Order: sequence, then structure tokens, then C-alpha cells
Amino acid sequence: MQALRIYLEHISKTFIHGVKGRVTAVDDVVLDVFPGELLTLLGPSGCGKTTTLRMVAGFENPSRGRIFFGADDVTGLMVNQRNLGFVFQNYALFPHLSIFENVAYGLRVKKLPGPEINRAAGEVLRLVGLEGYEQQFPNQLSGGEQQRVALARAIVIRPQVLLFDEPLSNLDAKLRVRTRGEIRRLQKNLTITSIYVTHDQEEAMAISDRIAVMNQGRIIQIGTAEELYFRPRTQFVAKFIGKINTLPGRVLETVPDGFTLTVLGHSYRLSCPAPPKSASGETKVYVRPEMVQLTSELSSAHFQARIVERTFLGEKAEYELEAGGCSLWATAPTSAQQETFAVQQVVGVRLSAEHLLLLEEEVFA
Amino acid sequence: MSGNAATASLSAKHAGKLRDPALFLSVAVIWVFLAVFILFPLVKILILTFEKDGQPSLAALLEILSRKSHYTAFWNSLLLGGLVGVAGTVLGFFFAFTAVRANLPKRWTAFLDLAIILPLISPPFTTAIAMIFSFGPRGLITYELLGMRGFNAYGLHTTLFAETVTYFPIAYLTLKAILAGIDPNVEDMAFSLGASRWRVFRTVTLPLTVPGLANSFLLLFAASLADFATPLILAGNSFPVLPTDAYLQITGLFDLKGGAVLSFVLLVPAFVVFVLQRFWVSRKTYVTITGKSGAQTEIKSVSPVVSRLLLAICILLSLLIVYFYVLLFYASIVMALGANHNLTLKHYRVVFTEGVKAIQDTLLIAGVGMFLGGVYGVVVGYLVGKKRFVSRAAMEVVSMVNYSLPGTIVGIAYLIAFNSPPLVITGTAAIIIAAYVFRYGATGIRTTVAILQQIDPSIEEASHSLGAGTVTTFRRITIPLILPGLFAGLGVVFIRSMTAISATIFLVSIHWTLITVRILEKMTELELGVAAAFSVLVVAVVLAGTSGIGLTLRRFRQPGAPSMSSILGG
Repeated sequence: MQALRIYLEHISKTFIHGVKGRVTAVDDVVLDVFPGELLTLLGPSGCGKTTTLRMVAGFENPSRGRIFFGADDVTGLMVNQRNLGFVFQNYALFPHLSIFENVAYGLRVKKLPGPEINRAAGEVLRLVGLEGYEQQFPNQLSGGEQQRVALARAIVIRPQVLLFDEPLSNLDAKLRVRTRGEIRRLQKNLTITSIYVTHDQEEAMAISDRIAVMNQGRIIQIGTAEELYFRPRTQFVAKFIGKINTLPGRVLETVPDGFTLTVLGHSYRLSCPAPPKSASGETKVYVRPEMVQLTSELSSAHFQARIVERTFLGEKAEYELEAGGCSLWATAPTSAQQETFAVQQVVGVRLSAEHLLLLEEEVFA
Repeated sequence: MSGNAATASLSAKHAGKLRDPALFLSVAVIWVFLAVFILFPLVKILILTFEKDGQPSLAALLEILSRKSHYTAFWNSLLLGGLVGVAGTVLGFFFAFTAVRANLPKRWTAFLDLAIILPLISPPFTTAIAMIFSFGPRGLITYELLGMRGFNAYGLHTTLFAETVTYFPIAYLTLKAILAGIDPNVEDMAFSLGASRWRVFRTVTLPLTVPGLANSFLLLFAASLADFATPLILAGNSFPVLPTDAYLQITGLFDLKGGAVLSFVLLVPAFVVFVLQRFWVSRKTYVTITGKSGAQTEIKSVSPVVSRLLLAICILLSLLIVYFYVLLFYASIVMALGANHNLTLKHYRVVFTEGVKAIQDTLLIAGVGMFLGGVYGVVVGYLVGKKRFVSRAAMEVVSMVNYSLPGTIVGIAYLIAFNSPPLVITGTAAIIIAAYVFRYGATGIRTTVAILQQIDPSIEEASHSLGAGTVTTFRRITIPLILPGLFAGLGVVFIRSMTAISATIFLVSIHWTLITVRILEKMTELELGVAAAFSVLVVAVVLAGTSGIGLTLRRFRQPGAPSMSSILGG
């Protein structure tokens, strides 16, 4: 079956909240999910990602805007007319039906002949590694097994679209990593266009083709994990994905293909358009902790810093530093070649201009 | 922009209403039933109370209240209710604490449960009969054992004792659920902070139970307020109470209006209890069932010595209950308890000859009533618990009214309401069945609502996402999941149809009568042996019926669905 494209055309969702009055949960979202792609909606709780997903499913109706599966406008269709698979956070297995009957449910609804149901359900259960569990009931299974039943139940009906609502959040850390690998493998093999909702940035980066970062009902930025990590457009994206340092900077002057700025007394030349200049030239400069180079050779350093805290994390160590009245973080691999530093030691810091980011601040109405 | 959104959501709402004509229809039908069988009779009582010669008037009310005997009866009812509330709650807490916290061996818990369930499934005056046998003029204990002459078995003391024994199981079930819901880890925490056992009990366990204690007090107060059979047999002339008063006013003096006014007077405290329970106790509950259990921990809050002491006391009390029932059985197979102890089946011969009509009527009414009541409970429970419609909250409250009111009021209200057109069903089986369905079907409603609250909405959404429509989802997912609610409704309506008397005593006729009414008649005719035989029969039938339903319930039981005994609790 040909994978299809999902397109959200300016959809919004407003509802009346008992205390807060009118709440806009989803605000003018445009989203183009390519055929066969797994796209993740990532954001903090309350950002509208689940509401968006539930509108794609048809559990909620958008207040405005339209939803397309391929060329078909599905906005007015009931969920049971959309031919999709939905994997719930709490699995939502039917407690009174056996594992086999849970998986067979969608096929029975389609009134497929018995032998066909047996074959398809058996095949999918084999695919998720649950052969032999057919006659058990949901409450006899572990959380991970239940989630696999939920997945099997969703894919057995050969949906055009797969939707995942934080499917791994009830599993422990190890199982989460393993299960997300299985979900990704199945989704790729079946090439079903999928939307996946999570608030876990690591999970999003591991599983997705592309990620749409959401905040306060809007999509802030869409891109691959690398794009979002190395070229975040806004402070929110930079802070939500990975860890980032905020340092005070001052724009000195604009030059033909960029501008110069000083950070903690050292000046850097950036080759990108200067930010709109404020009266004082003050600006915030962002840099990822792993781009902060530490050295014991103070002479070659851009500026000096004192180690406040060192946390050993196995393959890397994390340093909390204090420099010129502001604190910053640096991480360094703990490989044999690498220097290590002691608490209270004064070290030299080097930053390279191409790792310095100047970001938009979000302004929300 | 906001204007557009408002229009959009408005039209969506409107569309939703039109999309579900089945919902509209079923809500309308249920409201018709509620109006006819719950609101209309109560309005009739109010009209009869506050009207004289077609004019609004307080005359009837003032006249009744000015009579000293009624005035005394009112205060006696409150006093009795208060005392039963306190005594039953203390006793119930004692049993509940022992069962939950004393590390009892399984078989002892089972024994306690059995002893406690007996009063719950018996006709309301079985304890009263056993009390007469034990403490009456020729009582087994007072006369034979202690050789007392002239011990007065009638009055507040015996009524209080009999009602406490009859109703404390309600307190037990309420408090047991609350105590079991208190995570022992909370007590462990207090121990870890250095508190002694007594201090933990005083500062942690007891305060967490306070809302349950209040609730149990109110339940028992209401039960006592509604009980008219026990005072009729035990209270005697020295201690008149309102329900008995109202009964005598109607059956003895054929004064419908006086009965209505008296039941209105009874309505006031009953209504206060109803309001307190709904809007005060329910907000004060700390313990919620999360389904998440803390780490398993051994209960340390009771020392082994205290545990053994608690168990001993509970067993003694349970033995007393069991003794009552053994005595009842014994009285049914001897010539005349206290006078002639030769074994005989003559009482049962009476039961199965002249009593056959009552038995047939009761079984028929219970059978039909249980079916209708079960369906009624599930339908209303589903609407109230799952659907959104205008008047949903009102429907929930109204459907609980007959259940919360003393049966005497409901009985008198039905008698007044259905005695004259537009709807004349006095003297038929229909009026008795309606009384049971709309009174005890409420249990099915509550169970269904409780089950629906535990079913995550995503389960039905999952069914929709797999291509199933509303009807398929309802048939294949929702119905199987709320089936336990149906059985709970069936069970309770069946048990109450077999055992209740307070409402239906006013509704029986020569065409349709009930076993419980026959028991009462035999009591007043002093044919105690036959009354005992009838009671034994009822207990046996109810035990058989409930175990049957219990077994079926277990077959369909979902995790988290309430068990039979907790449904009986109130």
C-alpha cells in the first residue's frame, strides 16, 4: 500500500475552561507529514501536542482548519471512518477480551472471514513477539507486553496512518529504549505515515525522521534532530532540546558579512546577520556545554573560569563553572587523552565563533 | 477570530445534540418514569400536608405537632437514630479495624464476614424476634437461664440493641473500605518518626477515618429513622417512634392525611441526612482508591496482645449474632419455644399451606422487580455516568431520592399517589414492583456509575479507532464492562424484595401480599413459631439467591469491580 501524506491546514482548537475561560489549546498549526515519515510532536505538557494528535485521529474536532489524509479532506469524518491506528498512553486494552480477541477486534469489526482473522492476528502477534500469549488476558501481562499488544492491535488493521500518544511513558527506562527501537523498526518496515507525541526529547530524537517542537499551542520549529539541536531558531527550542548556556554578550560593530561581539571580555567575529541592535548593544549568547573547551593552559584561553562542581557521569564529566559573575556548564569526555580538572581549579575557556548562537525570544500574545 | 470560534463550537454542540436522537429519547423516557414514581408521590405528600379545603394551610401540620404523643415520637425517633448511629459506628469500627489491621488468619476473617452478612440479608425484624425469644416474658436467657421474673423486654434499651445488631454491618462495610484504603506505609512513616502504636492510631489512623465515621453515623441514623418493624415489635407503648406512629395512623385509624403529615415530619431529618451525606461527607474524604499500591508492608499498628483481644471480642459478638439465628431456626422446629421444646414441623406446614400465596407473590414480585430494577439501574447509571446532557446532575440526585428516604415515607407516598386517577395501581403487584425498582434500583445506578468511572475513556476511543461505530462499541465493549453493575442491581433488588417491609406494608392487598408482611402478622398474632419458620425460609432463599448472583458476578468480574458484600453496604 502506498504511504500517504498527512496535512494539517491551519487548524486551531479552542474550548471553554471552567476557571480560565476561553483557552486556545492549538493555535493555527500547519503541519506537513511526508508519506512514510515518522514525525514527532515534542513539547512540554499542555503545549497542545496531544490535542493536535487527537484532532488528527478524530477524537476532537478542530474549531477551525482542515485535515487531509492524502488528497482526502477527513475533517468531518468520524474516527472509525479514518482507517488509522492509535496507540494510547495507557494502552487502553479491552480488559474483558483475551489478547487474541483484542488484536482481532478491528478485523471482526471489518467482518473479515474467520480464517483470515486468525491468520492476520497470528502474524501480527508473531511480529511483536507475543506468540503463545493469545489466550491470556491483559491484566496477566507486564506493561511492556501490554504495550506490544496495543501496537499489534493498531497495525493489524493495516491503517493508512499510525498515531502514538506518549506510548512509552508508563514503561521503565530500559524497556522504553528497547520498545522505541521496536516501534521504529515496525513503522519503517510497514512504511506507515506516523505522528508520535512525546515530551521526552531523547525519545523524540531517537525515533523520529523529523520533530516539530510545540509550545503554547503553536509549532515553534520543525526539523531533523540535528537541525533542532545545532540550529535552534529560538531560545525555547534551544533549551527544550539538550542543555545550553546563556552568556551575556555585546554587539560591537557590523562588518560586511557579519558582525563582532564580545563575550566575557573576548571578542568573536560571527558570519551571520547581526541581531536588531538594542540601544546598549546587549544581547544573549547561547552555547552548548560540549562546545565549551576547557584547558589548563591559561595563556591560550579566551577567558578564565573557576570550577565550582564536577559531576562524573561515566563516559563524560560535567563541570559547573563560574566566570565573570555568571555560571556556565561544560561537558568533556572522560577518555584517556582528556585532561581532568579539580574543583576550585582555575581553568582557561575557549569558545569558537561558529558555535555561538543568537536566538529569537518567543513572544506570545 | 474569537467570534468565529464561538460560532464553530456552538454549532458543533448543536450538531452533537441532533446527532444522538437515541440519547434524547432515553433521557426523556427516564424522566417520565422519575417524575411519575419519585417526584409525583412526594409532591402528593406535600400537598396533603400543606392543604386544607383546597387552600394552602399549616393547620394539619400544627394539629399533628400539637399532639403530645406525636411530638414525643418525633424526639424518640431522633434519639433512637442518634444512639443507633453512635453504637453501630463504634461496633462497626471495632469489627472493621479488627478485620483490616489485626493480622487475622483467613478463616477468622471469613467467619466474621459470615456473621456480619446475616443481618444484612435477613428480614428486618429477625433480630427482634430472636430478642423476644431470649429476653421476653418467657425468654430463654432472662427467664430460663437467669430466672428473672418480670424483665421488661420492651422499650428503648431492647430496640436500640436490636437495631444496633441489625445495622452495624453497614458501618462495618463502610469503615472496612476506608481503613483498607489507608496505605499502611503512612502508618509506617509515623512509626519511623518515633510514634508509639497508640499515638499512630490516635494521630494518623483515626483522623483519616473520621469522614468514614461521619458517613457511617449518617447511614445508621437514616436506617434507624426508617426502621418501623423493630420498634413495632420491641418499642412497646412506652417508646413510640414516628414510622410506627405513621403506620398505626394509617392502618389503625385509616387516617391517610395524618399519616402523610407524620411522614412529612419524618422527611425533614431524613432530608437533612441526605444533604449532609451528599454535600458534606463526600467532600471530606481523604482516602481515594488510586489503584497504585505502595510497597507491601507488614501491618505493625496493633500489638499481638491487642490483636488477640480485638479478635476475642469480635468473635463473642459474632457468636451472639449466630446464636440469634440458631435460636430462630430452633424456634421454628419446636412446638413453642420456652414452653414446649418437642420437635415439630407444624410451623413449616403452616408456611407451606396458608403461606404459599405469600411465597408465590413474593417470588414473582422479586423476580420481576429484580429484572426491571437491574435494567433500570444500568440504563440510568450509564446515562448519568457516561453521557453529557442537560439535567444530568438533576437526574442523578432525583434517582437517589427514594433510596435515601425512609421506606415508610415512600410507602405512604405511593399509597396516596396511586390511589386515585390519573394512575390507579393500588392493590396491584405493579405498585409493589415500582416501589422496589425505584427504591433499590438506585444501587445498580451507583455501581454502574462507579464502574464507568473506572473505565478509561480511551478504551472506548480505542474501539472507535479500530473502525467500530457507536453501536458496536456499546455492544462489544461498554455492555460487557458494566455487566457487574447489572448483577449488583439484580442482587440488591432481589434481596430487598424478599426482606423489605417498611415501604411495602402500605402497598399489600388481599390480591398481592408478601412474606415479610405475613411474618409481621404472625408476630402480632403471637404465632412466633410460624413467624420464625417464615424468617428461616427468607434467609435460606436470600442466601441461595445471593450466592447464585455472587457466582455469576465472579464470572464476569473485572479487576476493580465491587464485590457483592460491598454493594450491600449502603
